[in-house]
Amino acid sequence: MSIRNTTRSWGSLSKALHWLIVLLIINQWVIAQRADALTGFQKFATLNWHKWFGMTIFMLAIVRLLWRLANPVPDLTAETRPWERVLAKISHVLLYALIFAMPLTGWLMSSAKAYGVSWFNVFQFPDLVGKDDRLYELMHETHEVLFGVLVATALLHAAGALKHHFVDHNDVLRRMLPFGRIK
Amino acid sequence: MRIMTNYLAPFAISALLISTACSGAEPPAPSPPTAARPAAAAPAAPASTTAAAGALPRFVQAAGAGSLEFEFVQAGAVTQGHFRKFATELQYDENQLAASKLKVTVQMPSLDTQEKDRDEVLASAELFDTGKFPTAQYSATGLAERGSGLEAVGKLTLHGVTRDVRVPLTIRTTNNGVEISGETTIRRLEFGVGQGDWKSTEWVGDEVKLRYRVPLTRSK
Repeated sequence: MSIRNTTRSWGSLSKALHWLIVLLIINQWVIAQRADALTGFQKFATLNWHKWFGMTIFMLAIVRLLWRLANPVPDLTAETRPWERVLAKISHVLLYALIFAMPLTGWLMSSAKAYGVSWFNVFQFPDLVGKDDRLYELMHETHEVLFGVLVATALLHAAGALKHHFVDHNDVLRRMLPFGRIK
Repeated sequence: MRIMTNYLAPFAISALLISTACSGAEPPAPSPPTAARPAAAAPAAPASTTAAAGALPRFVQAAGAGSLEFEFVQAGAVTQGHFRKFATELQYDENQLAASKLKVTVQMPSLDTQEKDRDEVLASAELFDTGKFPTAQYSATGLAERGSGLEAVGKLTLHGVTRDVRVPLTIRTTNNGVEISGETTIRRLEFGVGQGDWKSTEWVGDEVKLRYRVPLTRSK
């Protein structure tokens, strides 16, 4: 398996980025749930882990987008119907947009609440805006709504992949699996 | 560490590595401006060190004037705030530095970091405990020359803990008095600010930078 994509399969870097971001997003949800139930220091620390991992996703999203633009994209199989192609395209565009929009709205939330954002204490990101309570509320709601959209889109995406595998019996799912072998 | 094991089991190892790397990478802090130096308090005022303090011109902070800002690192991000209420009194003669006196009284509940939740946490019992210690006071019993400027030699009482602190400052003459300005760094843990979980400097840095610019008017 090469590091780069081919027209038939995803390369190792694309796979790694895909699955790493999946795991980080699930983790983000778990941490956010915990933080909501906490107060004081525990909430402060837990929210910071959420921010640190969120900014990690943001940076991985940049790498992922650049890598996608610099690589061939494996095509869907010839049997894929036009409506399936449209759904796939929409969900892929949405998912890419969301792995940017989620961290960005979170970053805006922090800036608008006058909390700086760092990356694991290593370096600090600039503040996007000054203190702004209304913007904070708006971004907070947006962050939550977008998460709903993300879950729905990811489920559609996964359903599509499973259909390719179990119904159409093609390589579309297998070629994204870490150790998947294509026929 | 408890946070990590509780909430981040899948990432515990990488997070541990990262946080260890970070705490290891923290630069050694410069030693604080406490009285570690020899007690050569003020060799600067040559002739008149014995002058009566009462004879020195008095200056007081004009109401609502002046700024006292603080800056610290919180979860790797620089965070700023200021005190809205504080009072400054100075007895000062540039030729009688050792006899000069400075007193600054800070109303701790007036701390403001632009974020109500954070202000409440800072005021709480585990940090400044402003209910029990509503004021902080710096009282200098003399000034001394330091480099191109001055330093105040005195004691800071914060959170009920008193320590010797030398504060660098510049005193500039203005139309109707003087202006004091400068910056210094203190360590919050030396004053017991940060109990329980907040003791950890992994989340809130020990060093707190203070910046001040206070116009004072001559009082009769």
